[in-house]
Amino acid sequence: MALSLIVIDESQLDCFIAQKIIQFAYADSTVKLHNNALTAFEAIRDGNTGLALPAVIFLDLQMPIMNGFEFLEAYERLPDEITDQYRIFILSSTLNKNDISRGRTYRTVLGVVEKPLTKEKLEDVFHKYSIG
Amino acid sequence: MSEKIKILYVDDEPDNLIGFKATLRINYQVFVTDKVDEAFNILDRNPDIRVVFCDQRMPGKTGVEFFEEMRAKHPAPVRILLTGYSDAESTIAAINKGNIFRYCQKPWTEPDIFSAIEEANKFYMATSMLTVKNNELQTAYEELNKFAYSVSHDIRGPLTGILGAINVAHDIDDINEMKEMLVLMEKSISKLDSYIISMHDYYSLQRGELKISEINLAQLMDELKPLYEVSSKVNEVGFEVQVTQTQTFRSDRELLKLIFNNLLSNAFKYQDKRKINKRVDVIIEVEHNMATVYVKDTGVGILGNHIGEIFNLFYRANSQEVGSGFGLYNVKGALLKLNGQIEVNSIMDQGTTFKVTIPSL
Repeated sequence: MALSLIVIDESQLDCFIAQKIIQFAYADSTVKLHNNALTAFEAIRDGNTGLALPAVIFLDLQMPIMNGFEFLEAYERLPDEITDQYRIFILSSTLNKNDISRGRTYRTVLGVVEKPLTKEKLEDVFHKYSIG
Repeated sequence: MSEKIKILYVDDEPDNLIGFKATLRINYQVFVTDKVDEAFNILDRNPDIRVVFCDQRMPGKTGVEFFEEMRAKHPAPVRILLTGYSDAESTIAAINKGNIFRYCQKPWTEPDIFSAIEEANKFYMATSMLTVKNNELQTAYEELNKFAYSVSHDIRGPLTGILGAINVAHDIDDINEMKEMLVLMEKSISKLDSYIISMHDYYSLQRGELKISEINLAQLMDELKPLYEVSSKVNEVGFEVQVTQTQTFRSDRELLKLIFNNLLSNAFKYQDKRKINKRVDVIIEVEHNMATVYVKDTGVGILGNHIGEIFNLFYRANSQEVGSGFGLYNVKGALLKLNGQIEVNSIMDQGTTFKVTIPSL
């Protein structure tokens, strides 16, 4: 099955890495990169992601303008028809326990993955949630 | 000579007030009143009064009652009760409740009062020093928390990125993709490096002493300019510096450099790449012992609701990856040391102007 993914991360390097890892692991996947959460949110809200749904979202936490938490607050207010189409994983380098446990409190967040993303971590979570 | 210590004496008998003031006014700045209400007015107007004497026996309110009320409204000044033997019980109770520091017996003698003021002043100094230190400590703790928090993002972030890139490199065969990744890795490393430099600036700011010397601002700008001329050329940003200085200006050279470097690098960093006629202009004027500096850019601007926060540690108002959230915080810290001020004016998509004023020291 072809996979659709969105990576939301202000770091261009981390976006690049995530894209490569995903493509190496799932050759026929489509990945969209967003360096800021606001444009990603708007694309999701307006149905302009350019992706075949459903899709998986990898979301970083610490970002200016709109951080990961603010994204989740806004996202969870969207209608179910939209949010039913996405599965969200937090992808962060944070060591802060509060941030990690706060991330898990969002009903739309399936799990937290620690950076750097590797093929093994990706396959692990996807296997766990029967994705791909 | 340092200013005289301020003391207040409250007593309903005018003769006592006159005697007290006559004895002490050479060594201290003495305020006296025979009314409790007036005493509070004096305390409101003179928050730096250090010692308050009050007679115990006054009509309407006892000295102990006055001090109890005063402790709630003006806790800092040291409270000393003037009283005779017969009031021993209420005096002891007041001391035990912490409402008064000590008491002097009536009729008082000069040495009694002088030693009481001496002791009270020592106590006042120790207490207020403790308050200052406590506040400093509180600020330091808050900043330490912010640092600890930023470590996982600003230091670990670039490192995990580079580590991830090395992992990915094993599977990349295309040389162009590899080169693309190297450019991104370089960016991450530069960002980490500038974070560390800013952290060093921050530390020097907090701990360093001022080194005041005469500053030729045109010369200082000539030293800094080359750093930005590269960026000016590569990104096609017009860059001009105008300095008008006809009088001497004394300040700390390193702090000035820190301020200018941060403002200039922001001005170049936050340009709108799509725009034509991009500019950074610096205008410096020294007049009336004051340097006024404008750093104007034609950049992306700052959203109005973020302006209040841009001077906060680790605050970033822009989604471009380049900022560490350190720069303007350090600028503000440096200006605080130099008694300077900073104002910002920004219009979204049109540009930002920082105006800095620094007095000659």
